[in-house]
Amino acid sequence: MSWKRTADVVVIGAGVQGCSIAYNLAKMGVKDIVVLEKGTICSGSTGRCGAGIRAQWGTEMNCRFGLAAVGKFEQLHEELGMDCGLNQSGYLMVAYKDSEFEQLQKSMKLQNSLGINTRVVTYDEAKEICPGLAAEDAVGFTFHDRDGHADPFLTTFAYMEAGKRLGVKFLRFTEATDVKTVAGRVAGIVSSRGDIDAPVVVNAAGGYSQFISKMAGVEIPNFSERHEILITEPVEPGVCPPMLMSFSGNYYIQQRPHGSIIGGCSPEGHPQDYELGNSWDFLEMMSRTFVRLLPRTKGVRVVRQWSGLYNMTPDRQPVLCEADNVKGFFLSCGYSGHGFMFGPISGELLAQLILGQEPWIPIGMLHYSRFERGELLIEPAVV
Amino acid sequence: MIMDLIEKHPILEFKHGKKVKFTFDGNEMEGYEGEPIAAALHANGVRIYRVTPVKEQTRGFFCAIGKCSSCFMVVDGVPNVRTCVTPLKTGMRVETQRGKGVIAMDAE
Repeated sequence: MSWKRTADVVVIGAGVQGCSIAYNLAKMGVKDIVVLEKGTICSGSTGRCGAGIRAQWGTEMNCRFGLAAVGKFEQLHEELGMDCGLNQSGYLMVAYKDSEFEQLQKSMKLQNSLGINTRVVTYDEAKEICPGLAAEDAVGFTFHDRDGHADPFLTTFAYMEAGKRLGVKFLRFTEATDVKTVAGRVAGIVSSRGDIDAPVVVNAAGGYSQFISKMAGVEIPNFSERHEILITEPVEPGVCPPMLMSFSGNYYIQQRPHGSIIGGCSPEGHPQDYELGNSWDFLEMMSRTFVRLLPRTKGVRVVRQWSGLYNMTPDRQPVLCEADNVKGFFLSCGYSGHGFMFGPISGELLAQLILGQEPWIPIGMLHYSRFERGELLIEPAVV
Repeated sequence: MIMDLIEKHPILEFKHGKKVKFTFDGNEMEGYEGEPIAAALHANGVRIYRVTPVKEQTRGFFCAIGKCSSCFMVVDGVPNVRTCVTPLKTGMRVETQRGKGVIAMDAE
């Protein structure tokens, strides 16, 4: 294939964000879209994530995004023509402190006001939702049955395949090394395989997005943190039907449809070294959490552990906007651990913004200028 | 009892432990204590140890060093036991594993 020197839109990063943005732009009629990926499709944070999808959030923006994303996931297999592995068995939030339970209930009121039917459940109900749960020390639970999880690989591949059918080109092993700007406008990119001139460049580089922003001369205080996660051998389903999640307990655990159980937590020390290694400390800590919470998983073998980058912002909400000082340079980053679940909705909203339409959910407050103004909308519900 | 075990080895010397009784899918069998469960089953003529979850194909002895998952069986109620590297003890309840293995609710 000869090198393509021009495009209408270049998207940097082929995780769920990049693939969703490219697909949505193509669906809205953009003809000449190129997606650059420095590794393989879904090899970054999307392919390493915990796969959860939820509307149980603590800020109005995230609730709106979460609810809209759940709705998207519910019909994604029809829209994209491929199964995305959706499993809607809910998120069961576990609070171990009174203050935490108060916060969950406060968030629940907000969620209810936005049409998210989260409810408080008793320990007995929690055990019906998750048989074998041991959480005598918990003070309360909330549950939303439309939450759940999907397959990040299938979802991203579904977007890619649907995009390809609409003419989107995907270039793997092609790393963006510079963003060209001329007189306050983006002019294209330089990559490890050549230049592409384009009037629109989208930064969807996940854990590495801050480097892309800097290339364009856009400084945003987002940063990447390594989080670890593990998966067990498959056992018959029913061991952990919902996503079990606790902020003070510091865990999220879910069982994949094929029977493997995935679990992760927030790391100690919040390492920001871009190393994607594994640690004994995490293996031991997470294993203890599994057995404490789901005693019958004792003896089930861990078959794999890995890590990935959370692209964090100061308020743990995304950056989804056009750069002020570089017109045509758009950002979709800083998802703070929730980029996979928001992918279907943020991709559509950014495509609308790029095409000069009014995004159907207002995203003005997700502009990075909020950090300079100090108008932070801190999301409390993050593991 | 059919004895399909090596009696003499050209370079290794070995002694069997004492004979113990165990059950396979409810049938009483005999084997040598401390030898792999899978070896004891082999000596008793048992060749099928589990049935795979999706295609329901039979599996038996394969790698014999605890790596391949082929000999997963349910032992004393615990699924996914690598019988090729798990020593036989007296009174063990060994069962063919069908599917992925159900982890019991009352496991402590």
